[in-house]
Amino acid sequence: MRRLIAIWAGKLLTAAGRLAGKKSTASPGAAALKIYPGLVKDVNKRVKKKVIVTCGTNGKTTTNNLLCTALEAKGFKVLCNRLGANMLSGIATAYVQTADIFGRLSVDYACLEVDEAYTPMIFSRIRPDIMVITNLFRDQLDRYGEIDITINILKHAISGAKGVKVILNADDPLCVQFGLGWCADPVYYGISEKVLPQTDDTKEGRFCPVCGEELSYKYYHYSQLGDFACPKCSYKRPEPDYEVKNVSIGPPMRFDINGESMEVNYKGFYNIYNLAAVYAALDTAGESTDDFGSLLENYKPQIGRMQEFSFNKPVILSLSKNPAGFNQAIATVNSDERKKDVIIAINDLANDGRDVSWLWDVDFHKIKNDKLNRLMTTGIRVYDITLRFKYADIKVDMMTDSMKEAVLKALSDESEVVYVLVNYTALYPTEAVLKSLEGEKSYE
Amino acid sequence: MNDTCTGNEMKLKIMHLYPDLLNLYGDRGNIECLRYRLQWRGCGSEIVRHTCADDGFSLEDVDIVFLGGGSDREQKIVCSRLLEHKRELKEFAENGGCILAVCGGYQLLGKYYKLEDETIEGLDILDIYTEQGGVRLIGNIVLETEFAGKVVGFENHGGRTYIGSHKPLGRVIYGNGNDETSGVEGVVYKNVIATYLHGPLLPKNPQLCDHILTTALKRKYPDFQGLPDIDDDLENKANKYIVGRYAGDR
Repeated sequence: MRRLIAIWAGKLLTAAGRLAGKKSTASPGAAALKIYPGLVKDVNKRVKKKVIVTCGTNGKTTTNNLLCTALEAKGFKVLCNRLGANMLSGIATAYVQTADIFGRLSVDYACLEVDEAYTPMIFSRIRPDIMVITNLFRDQLDRYGEIDITINILKHAISGAKGVKVILNADDPLCVQFGLGWCADPVYYGISEKVLPQTDDTKEGRFCPVCGEELSYKYYHYSQLGDFACPKCSYKRPEPDYEVKNVSIGPPMRFDINGESMEVNYKGFYNIYNLAAVYAALDTAGESTDDFGSLLENYKPQIGRMQEFSFNKPVILSLSKNPAGFNQAIATVNSDERKKDVIIAINDLANDGRDVSWLWDVDFHKIKNDKLNRLMTTGIRVYDITLRFKYADIKVDMMTDSMKEAVLKALSDESEVVYVLVNYTALYPTEAVLKSLEGEKSYE
Repeated sequence: MNDTCTGNEMKLKIMHLYPDLLNLYGDRGNIECLRYRLQWRGCGSEIVRHTCADDGFSLEDVDIVFLGGGSDREQKIVCSRLLEHKRELKEFAENGGCILAVCGGYQLLGKYYKLEDETIEGLDILDIYTEQGGVRLIGNIVLETEFAGKVVGFENHGGRTYIGSHKPLGRVIYGNGNDETSGVEGVVYKNVIATYLHGPLLPKNPQLCDHILTTALKRKYPDFQGLPDIDDDLENKANKYIVGRYAGDR
């Protein structure tokens, strides 16, 4: 009975949130868990086929949602925390929202994005059949501590999840170490050719996790991802089971996975990894990948994943949370040949990480080129991001505490496209500003 | 204002020690700040990155040494490399060379860093030591200092550092500092400054940056008159914002 009350409470809170115009991602589940703490413990029983968990610093939400979309396109019912709330409360929210009014939950698959730090806690309740680890980058050190701590947490979570099939990014030396005795027979996916210009961005895991020697690379994709090998011991990039080749950045982006050609509309090189991970997960789950391209036709990116708004010129909203993500966003901005305005908003609320030192690990100076028309900064830490540019000798054209003012300025000037790069808590307010301006059309 | 720092006749050599290992969070901001604040005064700088791949090591014509922060694992690797240069570094400090050490680099300047299951030997430049404490001390921090006014930054450390009879960098107005109880942060010895305020400490504390530059320039050029003022409006705003947010009433 408590269980049913918990589910009803969660459903009620979801409906109430909807009335208030909010997307409830974690609070209905948190309330339901208070009423019935054992709520999600029966997920394995209620999933007919497999529980697939996605972890990793960047690309979790996109990979998890792409996978869910593909499985739904095959006609399966899926339990999925698609809004990116990836702690226990977020999974409980998805649970109460997917269960019917009688509290019954019956699905074919569960696709769950899980915060790395919460894996031991969640795996003690839900046993994953398949686990994808996308990559590991420095992220919010004030919350998680050093990256080594995250790696240790994951090692224990994986070895505690008996029988889990682990899917790893073969290009990430930090991920590949999980294959060294922490899980049986992992499968790997990777991009097996040099695609991008080689950069000198901040790299994690420069040193061999086995012997400590500095790793050498044939090529990098970005950050520490690439074809690595230890000059001293046998640690090196494994042969991927799912191999991407013949990449053309586009647009549209084209590449082959295990010889099968893909053409996708997504911006951003990193999306190749997300798609390869989904391909690997589908195949590992025993599902056919023959119709991979068409499976993803219905995929709608979550907000802020290079989300395009249409005004008198396109405005593209991009969420980045850490240096690797921001560097990728900047690379994507720079691949756009149009004359552009760039607005950057940096907040430092709890969900962003209170520490903004990471701004200095982003290669912000690369945003400066002859296609940059106007650079504007905003957000709670507007002074920090503006200082970051001052000490890269780049002029910030406007510093403002109002995103709306910045957007209006960009819409009224001579740029052809506007990129708005934000971190986490700046995302929803920025989306709201853009949506309301779209409604007003006051920019015209 | 004076004109003694123009025409590139003055130049400082800054050595960044092991940027390949000690780069935990935005440490390059400090190097950029030193470089640009010299450049904007018409002075030159030469930045030397001494990495694990470099064999030779000489501090002969170096004016400022910067040592950043790293993870415990990386710190151990650095320490074994640095211990080979212990004598040179100690001499450099005793002879008035400027050292700025941040976070992990701060801990390495002491006698040792005692972790749960092992002890990392330090460079023994300062008569201080560090022990692993309970919870990590994480958060924004505001100091009142003698030569740079209010210094703001972010701390994130598991170690507690005990500075004995040394002078601290400042008194903690908000945050934790060296340990939970002493109420002080960092250490100053001759021209060595070490602190837990990690990452881009200098951009938001231009007075501290200029103090280090002035000290180094005076040491190298005895008739140096002092740095001319530059526009620090943005730097001061960033500093005052943190002071106001966390220590507004103090």
